[in-house]
This record gives sequence, structure tokens and C-alpha cells, in this order.
Amino acid sequence: MKILGLEKFFSGRKGWLWGLFGLFMLALAVLPLFASGFWLRTLTLIFLLAAMAEGWNYIGGYTGYAAFGNVAFFGIGAYGTALAMLRLHFSFFPALLVGVAAAMLFAIVIGLPVLRLKGHYFAIATVALATAVGEVADYWTDFTGGSAGLTLPFFDPIEYSGQFFYYISFLLVIFGLWLTYFVMKGKMGYSWVAVREDEDAAKMMGINTTWAKVSAFALSALMAGAAGAIYGYWNTFVLPEEVFKIDYTLQMILSTVLGGPGTILGPFIGAFLYYILITLLVFFFHVGAFHETILGVIIILVMVFTPQGLMDFLSGKKKLTLSSLLENIRTHKV
Amino acid sequence: MNYELGQGLVNVLLLTGTLTLVAVGFSIVWGILNIINIAHGAFIMVGAYVTYWLFTLWGIDPFLSIPISMVLLFIVGYIVQRYLINYVIRAPLLVTFLITFALEIVIINLATVFWKGDFRSVTTAYSGAGFSIGEIQIPYVRLAAFVIALLLTGLLHVYMTYTKQGNAIRATGMDVDAARLQGVKIAHTYALTFALGTALAGAAGSLISVSFPISPTMGGLYTLRAFVICVLGGLGSIPAVIAGSLVFAFIEVFSGVYTPGLKEAIALLVMVLVLIVRPTGIAGKAFYH
Repeated sequence: MKILGLEKFFSGRKGWLWGLFGLFMLALAVLPLFASGFWLRTLTLIFLLAAMAEGWNYIGGYTGYAAFGNVAFFGIGAYGTALAMLRLHFSFFPALLVGVAAAMLFAIVIGLPVLRLKGHYFAIATVALATAVGEVADYWTDFTGGSAGLTLPFFDPIEYSGQFFYYISFLLVIFGLWLTYFVMKGKMGYSWVAVREDEDAAKMMGINTTWAKVSAFALSALMAGAAGAIYGYWNTFVLPEEVFKIDYTLQMILSTVLGGPGTILGPFIGAFLYYILITLLVFFFHVGAFHETILGVIIILVMVFTPQGLMDFLSGKKKLTLSSLLENIRTHKV
Repeated sequence: MNYELGQGLVNVLLLTGTLTLVAVGFSIVWGILNIINIAHGAFIMVGAYVTYWLFTLWGIDPFLSIPISMVLLFIVGYIVQRYLINYVIRAPLLVTFLITFALEIVIINLATVFWKGDFRSVTTAYSGAGFSIGEIQIPYVRLAAFVIALLLTGLLHVYMTYTKQGNAIRATGMDVDAARLQGVKIAHTYALTFALGTALAGAAGSLISVSFPISPTMGGLYTLRAFVICVLGGLGSIPAVIAGSLVFAFIEVFSGVYTPGLKEAIALLVMVLVLIVRPTGIAGKAFYH
């Protein structure tokens, strides 16, 4: 198959992976022509999760800061968009920008002090902040509607609503992949990885580590905020306990870790695998009530057996054997 | 004396007892194993439900069920650490953090499915009784909870200071390799430490169930409080936990008096401020004295 010089690109497993990925994306792009409501809905949810996971990957995967409050950006994005649409009578796209800007601004303002913390302290501080933001949304009734929530207008024309939200989420995912690629081949991407590998050394080399961390945090807020904006409008309803649910944080972390933290495609693949797995389990075994138990068990299994994600196996860097699955235990047990 | 102030101070003291018991198990697990046990609050919730069911089904007095919930949660904690967390304990922070997070959502989910999500309370014949000094009210159950909490904390201190196993735990917290060379069985000691933490969580849950309503999701708040207390007091010792609890109880009671509804947010704010001023916590020591 010696055409167009593609044979070089497709030599090796990584090339094949990208080729397969291209075909997969093409299939996804034409899918709404054939598929029904259920599949569009499921895939839209997967796209939103993948987008958030791509965002978490910036701070958690590349920069190495275990952020446990990214759902705050999701919620702020949803609330920002909803409030801009209801109070300022913006149409959806300008409102989405308002939501995203609010999420990024929050990430910068909060990130400057909180990103000085390390390890456990950073992790818990982000959990606490996400909880606090959710509580503020719940208490500040005059502004946010409180626990009654906010009701948004339906998408018009409503018969294309499914397709609209499918494609816009799909575009967000592609934008996220492009952003990852773009950032990671530039100086900013290197500064993130440098912070992850050794923050003090990075500082000594003249990298502005504060800027590196805050930019990673703000870009992860961009992705989660946009996902929240789309989710809020799609759902036509924004509720504090729904858009600030800690489960979303766990799901985006799990997706990233399952696919491969610090890789371009990892979070996307992880989100698909996780969501398909949980949908199948709930659908065929009628274990909907045990949704969170399943999520928890999957997290535990992934953290014990493949904390570096599946990307290493897919790209052929490691062979999927019993021994490689037990490697984590071998190196990290007491 | 100003009545409101006096009652407030009494409430601070009573709350300090409960909070100390809530935080002390969390603190030793963090200090010795370097694990933030997010599931700590979920174990407290299980302890509360053990007391609730023993009382509701067989009429066992809530204070008598404390040893039962401690033993039960000791066993659970030992198994979790020995056969799960021990396998990945040297992995990066994210791994252990996520595993305990996952344990928390599993426990809460199972509790919600099997025990329903509604609030329940343990109402004994003496629940409402109390005595008063002047105008200051002191319920018997809260006084008893206070005494038992301090008693258990004292026992833990004695155990850690004067027994061979307690010394082994402290030695492991100071230097794992040196402890191993002295013949300490690390895997067992880790499991024992975690089990002590969950047993104390169980006792805390039992005590909480007599004074406050319980529900499957009650635990998250206690995990957060335990963390804030450890940050306020520092990670070094049991007296530090008591000091942290006292400060926290003070903030919570008095901010509660003047700004009801926002006291959790204020406590969180205090924590974030302390963390920003001292990113490693006030004492910032990773082992136990």
C-alpha cells in the first residue's frame, strides 16, 4: 500500500491507532444521519465527559496536580450560561462564552492561591472549594434561583435539538483534542510537564511555574465550563445538586486515568470505555441503583491494575500481560 | 454572665469532644500511612447505622453498642488496608486518594440502596433529658458522648505511648525502613493503624447517632471537618487534634450563632486561609509523637 507516503505514517502501532481514530471520528460525524435518539443522547453525554476529561488532563495529567474540584467549573459554566440567557437575554453562543469566561476567571482567581498548595492539601482544598461553590449556588437564592434551580428555554427548532447538541459536543471534543495537541507541542506544554516532573527544577530553569499551573488550571476550566454550558442548555434546567455533583469530578478523573493521563487521546478513549461499560452494565443487568458502586469498583480496579492507563497498551509501548497488570502492585506494595 | 455566651462555651466544649473522636482516627491514618482517608466519614456513617439498627431491632442501648461498632469497623478497616490499600500504598498520591474516594461512594451507595436515604434518629427514653446550671442547658447524652470521646482518645494515647504495638506504629510513621530493620511487620502495622482509624470512626458514629439525625450521606461533612481539624491543629500528636477540634468547634459554634446557614462555608474558608498562609499545615509533621 505505497500511496501518498501514508505507509510511513501507518507503520508502527501508533500510526494505526491514529488511522483507526480518524475512521472512528468520521463514523461519529455521520452517525446522526442514521442513529436514533437514545444513541445520540448517550454519545452526547460521552462527548461532554470526554471534553471534561481532556480538560482535567491538562492539570491532572500533564501538570501533575490532583485537582478534585473540576466539577466547580462545570457548574459555573452551566450557571453562567443560564444566567446570561435568562437575565441578559443573550442567545446561546454568547451566553456560552459568558459561562466559559466565568469558569476560567474563577479558575484563575482561585488558582493563584490554591495552586501554591501541594499534594493532599491541594486535593482537599479543591474538593472544599467545589463543595463551597455548590453551597453558594444553593443559598444565594436571589441570584441563582437557589435549590429551585433555573429553567432555560428549549432549543429551537426542537426537532433538531438532538442533532444540535450532538454536533456541538462533538465539536467541543475535537476542539479539546486540537487544543491539547497545540499546547503540548509549544512552550506552554513543556512548562506543564516540567512542573509535573520537578517543580523546583523547573523554577530554577527559569520557567514561570505559577503561570504554567494557572494556565493549565484555566484551560481545564475552559473545557469543563463549556461542557457545563452545553449540558445546562441541553437539559433546559440547572440545579445546584445536579451540576455540582462530585461524581462528575470522579468520572472525568477516571476517564483520564483509564485512557492514559498525559496523553492526547487517552481521556477521549477512557471516557468512551468507561461510559460504554457503565451503560452496558446498567442496561443489561438492571443495576441502575448501584451506579455509584460500579463507578467505585471500576476506579479501584483501574487504580490497582492500570494506573498509567490503557494508552501504553494500545500504542504498543507495553504488552498486555498478567505481569504488566501486576507491575503496579509489584512496585508499590508495602 | 451573658447567657448566650455561656451556652455557647458549653456547646464548644461538648462539640470538641465529638470532633476530637471524629478527627483522631483520620489523623493517625494520615500521619502514619500518609493516606487521606476520604472514606473516613463513610465509616462514621456505618458506625452510626450499627448503633441505630442494634437499638431499633433489639433495643440495645446506644452506649452499649459502641464496642460492637468499633470491633466491626476494626475488622472492615483491617481487611481494606491489608488486602487493598497495602498493595498500592507507595504509588503516587492520586492512587490512594482515588481509592478511598471510590470506597466512600461505594459505601454510601450501598447504604442508600439497602437502608434508604432518609434521615433517622436514635431516640432513647433519656434522649431529651438533661440538667441545667443557671440557664445553661446540658443534655445527658451529649455530656456522656463528651466523656466517652475523651476517654477513647485518652486510651488511644496510652496505647500509642506505652504498648509495644503502639510504639511499632509510631516507629513505622517515623521511618518505615528503620522500623522494618527493628523487626516491625510493616504490612500488619499499616493494617492495624488503618483499622484503629476506622474503629475510632465507628465509635464516633455511634456517639453522633444519639445526638444528631443520621443518613447515608452524613459522612462527607465529617471527613471535611476531620481534615480541617488536622490542618488547624497540625498532624503531630493527639493533643494537636484536641487543640484543632477546640478551635474548629469555637469557629463553628460562634459563627453558627451569628450567621446561621453559613458555618460550614466559614470553616472551609478558615481552612483555605490557613493552608495558604502555611501550605504544609500549622505543625506540618508527618509522624506521630
